Formats: sequence, C-alpha cells, structure tokens
Amino acid sequence: MRTVAATATGIHHRSYTSELRLRATRSEYFRLALLAVVLLVVPFALGNYWLSIVNTIFIAVIGAVGLNILVGYTGQISLGQGGFLAVGAYSSAILSDRIGVPVPLSILFAVALTAVVGTFFGLPGLRLKGLYLAIATLASQQIIEFIIRRDYGGVLTQGKGYINVDRLEFLGFKIGARAVFEQQWYWILMPLAVLVVLAARNIFRTGLGRSFMAVRDQDIAAEAIGVNLTRAKLTAFAVSSGFVGLAGALTAHYSEVVTWEKFTLEVSILYLAMIIVGGLGSVAGAVYGAVFMTLLPVLIRNVANAVEGSVPFLADQLPAIQNAAFGAIIIAFLIFEPRGLDRIWQRMKDYIRFWPFRY
Amino acid sequence: MFRKTRAAAIAAAAATALVLSACGGDSDTGSTGDGGEAGGDPIPVGIIADLTGATGDVGGPYNAGMLAYVEHLNANGGINGRELKAISNDYAYEVPRAEELYNQYVNDGVVAIQGWGTGDTEALSGSVANDELPFMSASYAEPLTDPEDAPYNFVVAPTYSDQIRVALNWINEDSGGSAEVAVLHHDSPFGNAPVADGQAWVEEKGYDLGYKAYPMPGGQPNYVGLLSQAQAQGAKYVIIQNVAPPAAQVAKDIQAQGLDMTIVCLNWCANELFISLAGEDVAEGHVLIQPITPMITEQPGHESIREYMEEKGMDESDVSVSWVAGWATMDVMAQGIAKALESGDELTGASIREALESMGPIDVGGLIGGGDVEFSAESHRGSASTGIYRAEGGQMVEIQGGVTP
Repeated sequence: MRTVAATATGIHHRSYTSELRLRATRSEYFRLALLAVVLLVVPFALGNYWLSIVNTIFIAVIGAVGLNILVGYTGQISLGQGGFLAVGAYSSAILSDRIGVPVPLSILFAVALTAVVGTFFGLPGLRLKGLYLAIATLASQQIIEFIIRRDYGGVLTQGKGYINVDRLEFLGFKIGARAVFEQQWYWILMPLAVLVVLAARNIFRTGLGRSFMAVRDQDIAAEAIGVNLTRAKLTAFAVSSGFVGLAGALTAHYSEVVTWEKFTLEVSILYLAMIIVGGLGSVAGAVYGAVFMTLLPVLIRNVANAVEGSVPFLADQLPAIQNAAFGAIIIAFLIFEPRGLDRIWQRMKDYIRFWPFRY
Repeated sequence: MFRKTRAAAIAAAAATALVLSACGGDSDTGSTGDGGEAGGDPIPVGIIADLTGATGDVGGPYNAGMLAYVEHLNANGGINGRELKAISNDYAYEVPRAEELYNQYVNDGVVAIQGWGTGDTEALSGSVANDELPFMSASYAEPLTDPEDAPYNFVVAPTYSDQIRVALNWINEDSGGSAEVAVLHHDSPFGNAPVADGQAWVEEKGYDLGYKAYPMPGGQPNYVGLLSQAQAQGAKYVIIQNVAPPAAQVAKDIQAQGLDMTIVCLNWCANELFISLAGEDVAEGHVLIQPITPMITEQPGHESIREYMEEKGMDESDVSVSWVAGWATMDVMAQGIAKALESGDELTGASIREALESMGPIDVGGLIGGGDVEFSAESHRGSASTGIYRAEGGQMVEIQGGVTP
C-alpha cells in the first residue's frame, strides 16, 4: 500500500545498507531534529490538562502502531483491540498490585501474556480471511469482554468490579502528586512511544516484516516464494498483540484504575479508525492517526464551548456531534484519501519539493 | 533543493507553532451555573453528567436538579457569601469521556466532583483519592462506602445492597414468611452489585425465601423467556435491579402473560419513568424501593424545591425523583463545603472530606431516606434508610418511610 515517495534528486544508493537507511536526505534529518526539539519542549510549554491529553496520545500511539502491524502490514483485520488492551491492563495491574511484582516486570509479563493470548485468538486467521476473520476477532473481543465484565468468582477484581492501581513506583521512585503527575508520566510515556515507533519501523526492514507484507499483498504468491504463512500470520498476531498489551498495561498504571468499560468494542473501532485515518500500512500513519483521533473530540469540545453563547446547540448536543464528526471524518478519508494522513503529508512534501512544477 | 528544504522547514515550524499556540489556550469550561463575584471567589465544583447517553432519561433530570440547587443557593447568598460555581458537561455515559472531563476539571481547580454512573465512579475512584477530591455520584454500590478502598467517594443514599435487604424484608413480611424470589438484574457490575448480598441476607436472617438471580440480556424485544424461567422457579416476587425501560418491559410481559408476580424495583427503576413507560394500569400494584423522597410525599426539604419551582414557573411533573436526587446530593456537598469553610482552613478537597466525615448528621430535610445523612472516617455510607412505595393510580404512593434493613 505504501508507494515509494519521490526522493530528492542526487540520492543514489550504492549498497543495500544505504538503501535500508531510514533517512536519506538532509531535510529528513532536519525534521527529525525539529521533532526531537518539540518533544523535549512540550512538557515545559503545556499545562497539566494538555499534557494529560499528550500522554493519552502516547498510549494511543503505542496501541495504534501495534494494530497497524496486524491490519495495515499483514492484512489481518482485527476487531479484538479492546480485548487485547484489557489483557495487558488486567494482567499488569493484578501482578503489580496484588502479587507485588515490580511494575516494569509486570508490564513485561503483560506484554508477553497479551502476545500469547493474541496468538491464540489469531489461530482462526490461519483459515479465515477478510470479513470472516473480522467476525472471528470480534468473537475474541466479546469473549474477553465477557470474562472481565462478569468476573465470575471475583478472580480479577475481587468482587469489586474494578481494580484500583497504586501510583506507579519502582526502584524507590514514585510518581508525585497532581502538579507533577503528568510531567513525570510524559518522561515515561514519550520514550516508550518513541521506542515502539522505532521498533516497528525496524521490523519492516527485516525478513520477518517483509514476510508480513507479502502475506498481505498476495498470500498464495507469498507461500509460493517460500514464506511460511502459518508462522508469518501467527507472529504478526503475537508482535501486534505485544505492542497492544504494552499500551493496555500503561493505561492501567497511568489512569490508575482498570474497569471493563475502557475496553469495549467501541475502543476497538476507535483504534481501527486511527489507523484508517492515519494510513494503513504505515508506522508514521498510525502515529498521525492516534494524534488526530485523540485530539479531534477535545478540539470539537473546545470549539463548542467557545461558541456556546452564540450556538448553544453545539454544546448541548456535544457527544452526538463528536460522534457525527467521527463518522464523517472516516467517510471523508475513505473517499478522498484512503491512504490517510500519511499520504497527505507525503503529497504536501512532494508539492513543496517540486514547486513550481507539478511533478 | 536547498530552498525547497527551507520551505519545508518553515512550513513545519509554522505548523508546530500553530499547534502549540492552539494547545496553549485555556481550556474552556462547560455550561456553568451562576458564578458571580459576591464576597470572595466562586467555589468551583465539577459535574460529570449524562444528558444524552444510555441513562440520559434519568441523568438529565439529576443534572438539572443539581444546577437548580446551585442556582437557588447562590440566589440566597451562596455559602458564607461565596457563590458555588457548578461546571457541568455531558459525558454521554462513556467512561473515557468522563476521564477527560475529570482532567479538565482538575485543571480548572475544582474542589469537588459530582459524578453520575457506576462506570465513571469506579474509573475515577483511584484518581480522586490521589488528587484528594471528594466525589459523590448516583452510583450506590457497596464497595464505594469503604474509605479504605475509596477514601474520597461518598455515597449519600443507601447502597443497592441495603435496598435489596429492605426489599427482602418487605417480601418476607408481605408473603407471610415463605415465597420464591426471582432477582432480575442488569448484566454489569451495577446490576450484580446487590445480588450476592441479597442471597447472604436471606441466609443470615433465616428467611424461608427461594432466591435465584437472572441476568437480563440487553437488546431483547421482551423478557418472556426469563419470566418463564422465573415461573418455573415458582416466583411470586420479582426484584429488578435495572433501569426503568427494561423494568417496564418486564411489567408489560407479566401483564401479557397473565402471571401472578409482584415486581419490587430497586432505585433506578423505582421512579415515575417506570410507571409512565409501563402505563398506569400495568404498573399498578408493583412495589418501588426508592431512597429519594418524591415530591408527592411531603418532607421539609421539599419546601425550598417548591420555592424554586414557583420562581421558575415549573410544574410538579417537571420534578422527578431523579431531579430531587440531584438537588439533595448537591445539598450534601454544599453543606460539607460550608462546614469546611467554617473551620477556617483553606478550602481544599481534603478539608471538605474532613468536614463531611466529622460534621455529624447532615440535614437534607428528609429528602434522602426520610432522615439525615451522616458520614464518618470509618464509613462513607451516608444513609441506610429508604422509602417503600407502591404504584397506585399512576403515582408513587408511600407504604413505609425511613425503612432500614
């Protein structure tokens, strides 16, 4: 799905290493430096409220990148995102708070467990494709939701229906009170999100990543050239779910409470929307989509509140309008730019690069 | 090529600046109750309301009752001359939205939060404890009354568990000591909340009551299937822990199937909505356990509501039990805030909690359980008493008031 964007003139690759480089031009390095500066300045420039939204975005980025590995790169559609987030959140919360495992270890375990659960629910993917697989993953969502919602015997929540997670603490460091809470979390979530993005970018420079894309583009041809379909599909489910489990575990520790209502089918659909709007089969697209879909309702609410005096209807019907905008934007993207924000960004860059010529 | 790079860089820088400046702006507050400048800064309280979501039909009046209380309070001098500023936003019964609103309110510097449903109350109980913000809501689940688990949650009304205990006591008496009871409940933590406690109560009291719980699946056209199971059990009484629309459907199904069963509705289906949805005839004779005193039953607390209604030209039918619940809950919070201000400490969430725990009985004019609300450092169970009503002629007619388990 990703087309090769026009690169600047004068760039010639003379070795495979050179061709594999993530960045080839000076402007690409410049943008990277700019991004780094922005990421370093943000926690000092923004207030706590906006920082909390930025932190939510980082978690969404991790989850969306994970989902895009499965849906965008391997072509295995999944409606089970909410359930897999729940596996990560519940397992890390229970391990750290009830059993006393240090948080970094509990998160690692949550990642591993979610990968295992994801692989298990990925098994139908060996036989099913397209819509049928979507329904099969929908089943995984429903099963996991059923388990966490009913919680028979109180194994998960000890009969309370929710788990309160202690404030994050490891190696003697404890996240502080509200005044510094968001900033300290920023320094945890931002590096993790960056790491996840880097890891995902690099997966697709390996043979494994290429086998994912081969499965997506034409599975029979992939098998004919020696890709082990079973292995590729199941690994894709495992890797993707691992990332999603990380996002789930971070949600648990960041929001400090785990309830089933955070992991419903709606969440699965929201994440799918993120990667559709951002751009299927693109790590950067998953990032743009996560940023966009998290900011959208917030911005709509700010606009609605700002114009409440003149247009009270907007503020009165806010949730409905947010939902409507959500749907309208997905439709608009599907019609006007199915390859999402990532492709729009590419086109903008090309436009500037070739100006005043069209191409 | 160089120029193009620079153009790209400038565009990127401009875009970044735009984003940053947009983010730097103050987050706006939602619709506000009156917040003027009479003798001191207004006291901000955040309200997380469901106006358009799944429970909007009762959440809307609840929110309106809260805002009405604040308006009435401010018109009568506020709290020690300071006005209460209620910031209310709709979260449409979606937990992530509630969390986002909560972050906004914390940023706005509120000293207390009024929530709504079980989902948002549970999702925020950890945060309010860490941020030291007292939190009241219309979720009356038992675990929230334990300050060890939820130190900043206050439950103003008897819990669902206490309500089912009252219901079982009443059934035991009404049936003459032996009957089968079917408990139909919403399939969620909210619905499950009192089920096990009810079973334990039957055993503890040694009642000769058969007790069987049935989760109510959502999206059903009717509940005939569940009722046939209840009939097979031999149930004469059906306790419902759910909201009014499905409960009204059960009432209709009982009527249509010609079954001899009496519904005992707890809290969220024990309201005018249940009667109007089921229809006067169908609802007739069913029993409602409702801790909030409806307007039709006179209590001293209703006087100020009537004053307000007269001022606004409102009709009695505009003021449902949920509306009164919002009014009364805000009353409890306001009295806690007043007490905290009296003590002379700085007004913070922690000082309000301290005040609520130490101030003894809080007089809400009998609007909650026909008596006072009282918290302590050991228990945030504000009240254990409730009213029992029967649907008669389309009205909630009181059978017993101030009943405790």
